[in-house]
Amino acid sequence: MTEALIGLLVMMILAFIRIPIALSMGIVGIVGYAYMRDWNWAVAFATAQTKVYETGRNYTLSVVPLFILMGNFVTRAGMSRELFRTANAFVGHLRGGLAMATIAGCAGFGAICGSSIATAATFAKVAYPEMKKLGYADYLSTGSIAAGGTLGILIPPSTIMVIYGIMTETNIGKLFAAGVMPGILAAVLLCIAVQFITWRDPTAGPRGVRLPWRERFATLKGIWWFAGVGAALMAATKLGWMEGNDAAVIGAFAVFGLAMVFKGVTSVIALFVLVMGGIYGGVFTAVEGAAVGAVGAMVFAIARGVLSWKTLYESLVESARTTSMLFLILIGALMFAEFVNITTMPQELKDLVQRFQLHPIMVVAAIMVIYVILGTAMEELSMILLTVPVFFPLIVHLGLDPIWFGVLIVVVVEIGLISPPVGMNLFVLSTLLPEVPTRTVFRGVLPFVVADCLRLAILVALPIISTWLPSLMK
Amino acid sequence: MSKASSTWEEKIDAVLGLAASAILLVLMFITFADVVARYLFNFPLRGAFEITELMLLVLIFAGLPLVSHADEHVTMDFIDHMLPRTALRALERLVHALCAAVMFFLAWLIWLKAGKIAAYGDTTDVLRILVSPFVYFMAVMIALTGVVHLFKIVYLPAKRGPIGTT
Repeated sequence: MTEALIGLLVMMILAFIRIPIALSMGIVGIVGYAYMRDWNWAVAFATAQTKVYETGRNYTLSVVPLFILMGNFVTRAGMSRELFRTANAFVGHLRGGLAMATIAGCAGFGAICGSSIATAATFAKVAYPEMKKLGYADYLSTGSIAAGGTLGILIPPSTIMVIYGIMTETNIGKLFAAGVMPGILAAVLLCIAVQFITWRDPTAGPRGVRLPWRERFATLKGIWWFAGVGAALMAATKLGWMEGNDAAVIGAFAVFGLAMVFKGVTSVIALFVLVMGGIYGGVFTAVEGAAVGAVGAMVFAIARGVLSWKTLYESLVESARTTSMLFLILIGALMFAEFVNITTMPQELKDLVQRFQLHPIMVVAAIMVIYVILGTAMEELSMILLTVPVFFPLIVHLGLDPIWFGVLIVVVVEIGLISPPVGMNLFVLSTLLPEVPTRTVFRGVLPFVVADCLRLAILVALPIISTWLPSLMK
Repeated sequence: MSKASSTWEEKIDAVLGLAASAILLVLMFITFADVVARYLFNFPLRGAFEITELMLLVLIFAGLPLVSHADEHVTMDFIDHMLPRTALRALERLVHALCAAVMFFLAWLIWLKAGKIAAYGDTTDVLRILVSPFVYFMAVMIALTGVVHLFKIVYLPAKRGPIGTT
C-alpha cells in the first residue's frame, strides 16, 4: 500500500510543478512499475509500449472523437438559443423562471452534447444576457448556468462516462441509460435550489412575460411530424412490416430530413431519441450511435446555415485536438493503473473493509466524501482516472453495481466542476463574463452545490434510480 | 519569434490540422455508412472496423503535436500564484525540456515496437493492411511533439488559461 501512496504523492508533486498531468501519471506509472518488478526496466518499458500502442489502436475508443465532434457541431449550430427560448416560453413567467429555463435548456443541450464546459460556455452566451435584461441578480444567473452546465456530462452522451466505461470495461450504452433518471432528478433539484434562492431574495429572479399556451407550443415546431414519423416506424416494426434495425436507419434519415425543415427543440429531442434509443435498443453500438449523432449534429449545423468550410474545419480540428489531449491523459492513467494494480493497495483496501466489517454503502459514502473533497482542488478527469484503479476493484469485490458507481463518479465530477476554489465551470464563466466578479460567481453557485450534494446522497441511498433503466436493456 | 520559424510552425500545424480534420470527417462517414449499408442493404462494409481503428490511431497521434503546439495539455496551475514571474518562466522552460525528453524517449520506444511489428510483417485480418507503417507514424508524431516542446523552451508562449477535460 505504501508504494501506491508514495506513487500518488509523487504524481501530485510532479503535477504541482506544472508537468502536464498525463506525463506525471505516465512517468510515475513507468518508474513505479519498474520498481515493483525489482527495477526491471525492460518489463516496464515493454508495458509502456503496449499501453501506448493498444490505446491508440482500439476500435471502441473511436466513440470518443465522434461524441466530441457531435458536441462541437451542436455548439456551433446555436442549438442552445433554441432550447433556452422554448424552456423560457414554458417556465419564464414563474419566479426565477429564466434561471429554471437555463437549467432545463442545459439539460436539453446535455442530451446532444457530452461536455459540461461546452454546455456552460454556450449558455453563458445565450442565457446570461437575457437574465441580465430582465434584472436578474448576477449571482443567480451565473450560479444557474454553472450548475446547469454540469448536466452536460450526466445526461448522455457523456465524455466522462465513455472514459469510465473504457477504463473499467463497463458497457457504455448501459452507463448512458443509467444517466437519464439521475439527470432528470438533477434538473428538478437544481430548479428547487432556484426556488429557494428566489424565496430568500425575490428580487434576484423576477418573473418574465407569461406567454399564451399557443405561443408556447409554437416553439415546438414540427413536433407532430417527428412524432408521426416515429409512431409510423414503430407501428411498422410492431406489425412486422419492417425490421427494427431498418426502422432505426430509416428513422435516422427521417430525423435528418425533418431537421432540415424544422429548426428547433423538436429536432434536438428527435436526435437524442434516435441516438440513445438506438444504443439502448441494441441497434447501434456506442461507436455507431456516436457516428449517427455526429452526422445528425452536422445536419443541424447545415440546416442553420452556419456550416461554412471554416466552421467545419474548426469543429473538426478542435475535436481532434481534444481527442489527442484526452488520449494522452488516458494513456498516462492506464500506465499508472498498471503500477497500482501490482502494488498491494487494492488487496489491502479489501482487507481493511473486511476487517472492520464495513457496510458496502458506508464504503461508497466514504469514497464519495473523499471525491467531493478532492474535487474542490483537483482537475476532475485526472482525479477519476487516478483513483478508479484503486477504488474500482473494491466496488466489484463488494458486489456493487459498476454502472451505479459510474453514475456516482459522474455526479462527483459535476460537483467538482462547480465547487470553489478550483471548479472548471466557474472558471469558464469568469472568463466569458469578465464583468461579473469571481466572488459573485463563487457565492452564487453554493446553493446549487448543496443541491448537488443532496442529489449525490439520494443516488447513493437509492441505487435503483440509476440502475432501473439499464436493467431493462437487452 | 523569428519569422522563419513561425511560418514553418504554421505550415506544419496547418498540414497536421487538415490531416486530422479530414480523418475525423471520414471516420464519421465511414462508421455511419457502415451502419446504413449493413442494415438497409444487408451489405456490411468490408473491413470498416479495421479502417476505423487505424484512422483513430492516425487521428490521435497527428493531433498530439497540435495539442502541444496549442499548449492544451492539462496542467495544474496552483503554483502560478506562488512564484514570481521570472521563476515561473524558468520553471515552464524546464517543464518543456522534460516534456521533450519524455516524448523523445517514448518515440524511441514506439520506434522499437514498430520495428518488431515490421519484422513480423503484421497485417490486419480482413484487408491485409500492413500495420507497421502506422506504428512508425506514431513514433514520428511523438518525436515531432518532442520537437514542439524543444521549440517552446526557446520561444516560451504567453500563459494561457486552464484547459477543461469534461
